[in-house]
Formats: sequence, C-alpha cells, structure tokens
Amino acid sequence: MAAKAYIIGTGCISPQNTTDENYFFETIIGPNGDHFPAIEPSYKEHINPNMLRRMGRAIKMGASAARMAMTEAKLDNVDAIMSGTGLGCFEDSEKFLLAILNNDEQFLTPTSFIQSTHNTVGSQVALIMKCHEYNYTYTHRGFSFESSVMDALLSLNEGKKNILIGGIEEHTPLFVELNRQAKKFNTDTTHPLFEGKTHGIQMGEGSAFFVVSSEKQNAQSSIDGISFLYKPKSSKEVLDKINQFLDSQNTALDNIDLVLFGFSGDSDFDNYLLELLPLVSNHSATAHYKHLCGDYHTAGAFATWLADKIIRKQEIPHTIRINHHTKTSIKSILIINAYLGINYSFTLLRQC
Amino acid sequence: MDVLIEKLKVQIIEQLNLAEVKPEDINPDSPLFGDGLGLDSIDALELIVLLEKHYAIKIQNPADGKKIFESVRTMAEFIKSQGKS
Repeated sequence: MAAKAYIIGTGCISPQNTTDENYFFETIIGPNGDHFPAIEPSYKEHINPNMLRRMGRAIKMGASAARMAMTEAKLDNVDAIMSGTGLGCFEDSEKFLLAILNNDEQFLTPTSFIQSTHNTVGSQVALIMKCHEYNYTYTHRGFSFESSVMDALLSLNEGKKNILIGGIEEHTPLFVELNRQAKKFNTDTTHPLFEGKTHGIQMGEGSAFFVVSSEKQNAQSSIDGISFLYKPKSSKEVLDKINQFLDSQNTALDNIDLVLFGFSGDSDFDNYLLELLPLVSNHSATAHYKHLCGDYHTAGAFATWLADKIIRKQEIPHTIRINHHTKTSIKSILIINAYLGINYSFTLLRQC
Repeated sequence: MDVLIEKLKVQIIEQLNLAEVKPEDINPDSPLFGDGLGLDSIDALELIVLLEKHYAIKIQNPADGKKIFESVRTMAEFIKSQGKS
C-alpha cells in the first residue's frame, strides 16, 4: 500500500468545542455524569432545513461534519464516500422499534424506518452533494472508521483522487440508561483514564469527516498507513504488531514523535495499553483522547482529527498529555485505538 | 370544519416534524405538495398513516390520494365525508 492519504479538509462534531476553529483544548469539558454528549452546532448553517426535519442526530452530525470537511477542502464533489459507524442511526432504529411495540405493529411510518439503516449517513451526504460515485459504509464495530481509512488508502492507490471518509456515532437517552443500569459506566472522574484505577467507560458520541487526496495540495498531514489487530492475547502481541506495522512504514517506535493512546478508563480492557505505556514513554511524547470524546466504536475518527490538528498547530495541548517529553517538532503521530479490548488499530500520520 | 382544519394542521406539523412551521403559516387551501408546504412522496406515506392512526380511515384506492391530499381543506372534507371528524 504505497499511497498516502493527504488530509485536505476536516470537520469534527464532538463533546468538545471542536467546531470552533480557534479552540484547541485549552480547557476541556468533562462528562455529563457518566457519558459525553456531543456539542451540536446550528445545523441550518450546513444542511437545508427542509432535509433537516427528517434527520436523526447521527445523520445531522455526519452530514454537517462532511460539509465542513468539503468546505475546507474547497470541493463540491468527491470520487468516493466511505463512512464507518458501529451502531448506525440508533435514534431512528429506536423510534421505529418503539413504534412497533407501542402501536401493536400498526401505523408504522416510513421515515424512521428508512433512516434507521447504518448507511443512511453516507447516502444523505451523497444526496446533498449529488455524488453518484462509490459509496460504502463499514459497520465493523471498533474497526468501522478504520476500515473506511483502509478502503480510502487502497482506492487512492488505485487512482481515485479525492475521497470523503468519516466516522459517526450517536447515543440516545434510553441507550445511555440501559448501559447505566448494566453498570457499564465509569463515574469516577478523580483518576485520569490512563492510570488503570477505574472500571467502566464514559460513553461518547460524535462525528469526524476528512477529505483525503492523493495530491498534497495544502495538506499539512497525511495518513500513511493503518493496521488492525483483533482480540490480542497479550501486550507483547500488540507491541509486535505495532513494530511490524511501523517497519512496513519504514520507521520504528523510537522515531515516533507522539503516541496517542485510546485509554477507555476501564482497567479490564486497558491492561495491554497500560503495559505498553512505559515502553513508549521513554522516547516519545504520549497523550490520550477518550477523556475528550468518550468511548465509542468510531472514537478513532476523533483521534485522527486530533492528530491532524496537532500536526497543523505543532503543539500538544497540556490537557491531553500523559508524559512531558518536549519535541521541537511533531512530524509523526501513532494512534493506538482500542475498543473494549477487542478491536485494536494503529494509524500513522506524518507531517507533509 | 374550521376546528377540524386547525386540528389537522397541528397533526401534520407533528407527524412530518415541520419544526419551523406554525399552524397559522399553513393556508388550508394551499397545495400540500410541490408549492405550498413542499411535501414529497415520503410525506404522502406519513399522511396516509396519519389518517389511519388518528381517524381510522384507510384509503382503499391509492388513485384517490392525489385529490384527498391536495390541501388541508380537502383532507378535512374527506375525513368529514367518511363520518370520522
């Protein structure tokens, strides 16, 4: 896989003020008790109000973030759209299923059914742009967004020029409540997520989209490669996979300027990352991100947006740092994302 | 008839999630589709469900739909003609 995916446009809706161009995590917003709700922008600025009325939150967040990325890239259309989502349009799925129950399988309206499928976000983005090109939605749990990145890298290698990729996730009050009752949440905000002293996660949501191109243009960073690891049995297996991946990218862990860790705060799932942290901290700056966006299937999209922003600004915000290595420049960032100890992914971004 | 028209306006706004529209914005004689409210084919399905759910009316002949859903007033007249108002 030789092609680089130059990032020429981004858009991010998250539990932080990421739609504000000037905001860079000087102060951060903590969870709302045990979960992170996204800060939603005024959607009317990005989507036709007549289309808005039918859209659930996932679609609104996805279509708006996609619009922001396209605006920054100064493009009207792309050669492909690849989206990733673990749970899809959860709000509409819930509405439709509850309507079945509440109305005894009668009076079912079409809107929430039509919009309940995972690929609605990608298709709505295409409808808005009138894009008739390749459109694919990956629903591979913790690999959903990462699969869209992989597809983009392969497609750029095969000659496509500009591609829109993104990750979207939403939660609903009912879903949050069910997880709360199942005791899946971490309500302890006194310990940082990377200390391994807490149990449960802080669930998050959001949407991050990127226009990636085979041509550098005004890009300041590129996604150079991505690798996956499913259900590793030890931290050594994770480390071996990272080394193998970085070797394939003609680099090594010692040369990475910043490693972004996806600690969830659940010590039951974070143990391999906790074992890796001291090995990495000797030579690289280390930071984490799920205390900004929460944990969800496509948190890797937020991490990719953050990594791109760090390279653009050449600054690691103090609110995300784990160690305090000083780097004169940040030329390479390795994202180590992990979802519930099952889906591990490694993404390499470089300055360009 | 006027009471039914006002009730229908509220139900249409709620069913179609017309958050920006107020009942007084809807002219009962304006077309629901195309111009006027600018509804589309998915909205037509929603309106069919509305009649079924709130007025227990099933449209037997789909060809009648065009006339029934011409405006809020024609919908109200149809409901009244079925003795369901």
